[in-house]
Amino acid sequence: MSAQISLAHYLTLGALLFLIGMFGALTRRNIIGILMSIELMFNAANINLAAFNHFLHPQGVAGQAVALFIIAVAAAEVVVGLALVLAIHRNTETVYVEEFSILKG
Amino acid sequence: MTLASFAFYSMAGLALISALLVVTLRNTVHSALFLGLSLAAVAGLYAALGADFLFAGQILVYVGGIAVLIMFVVMLLGRASDLHLRQVNNQWLAGLLVCAVSLTGLWRIIKVFSNVLAKAAPVPTTRPLGIFMMRDYALPFEIISLVLTAALLGAVFFSCAERDNPGAPQ
Repeated sequence: MSAQISLAHYLTLGALLFLIGMFGALTRRNIIGILMSIELMFNAANINLAAFNHFLHPQGVAGQAVALFIIAVAAAEVVVGLALVLAIHRNTETVYVEEFSILKG
Repeated sequence: MTLASFAFYSMAGLALISALLVVTLRNTVHSALFLGLSLAAVAGLYAALGADFLFAGQILVYVGGIAVLIMFVVMLLGRASDLHLRQVNNQWLAGLLVCAVSLTGLWRIIKVFSNVLAKAAPVPTTRPLGIFMMRDYALPFEIISLVLTAALLGAVFFSCAERDNPGAPQ
């Protein structure tokens, strides 16, 4: 391990955060837990974008701009997602995804 | 150990440990609190990368907005009986396998970048970012405001759909 922080350090952190989020999204039963895991995955992608911007293209800001767009889209996603969760909870009285079978008809 | 590497390792450790607690804790309220901590640690990493506007945006939008919103919904929908139920499904071993395979694949890509060091010290980027947004990315910038308005309308629609037509099928 070198003393200086390289791009690989940040990419490793981003990969680990993404995989933790993916593990949570695959295994949580609670739909709010799944939404939280998806937020972790968004953050991992944002870390990678900011790190690539800083290490490979320090004179530009395109990576940070895309990360800002991702933050805005994530905010929109979580607002609509939580409203959907509330609407589903009104009908089914549960937050566990295996009981969300209302689309079966 | 320099200040930069100390900042990186402390923030990265905080982000990873609290992210692990988010996906493993049984109590969803604790998960939501650790999600806020993990997002704040990621904000610290943005500051270490010289992305000062992202740092502020992360604190404002994620820690101050999304984490609090998730906390509200957790407290609205939570029941005391949830604490005695399993919070993971039966597929956790398969999920772990998928993550391990993905990690080996990602690691082969990451190794390519192991010699890339920072060329310059981080400088404040808020002013170039604003110029970039209003000049090169003006159209996506306007479209994202449309997306946010649509999300707001969608959230209002889903929240009071039942009140508008009380005869809707349950």
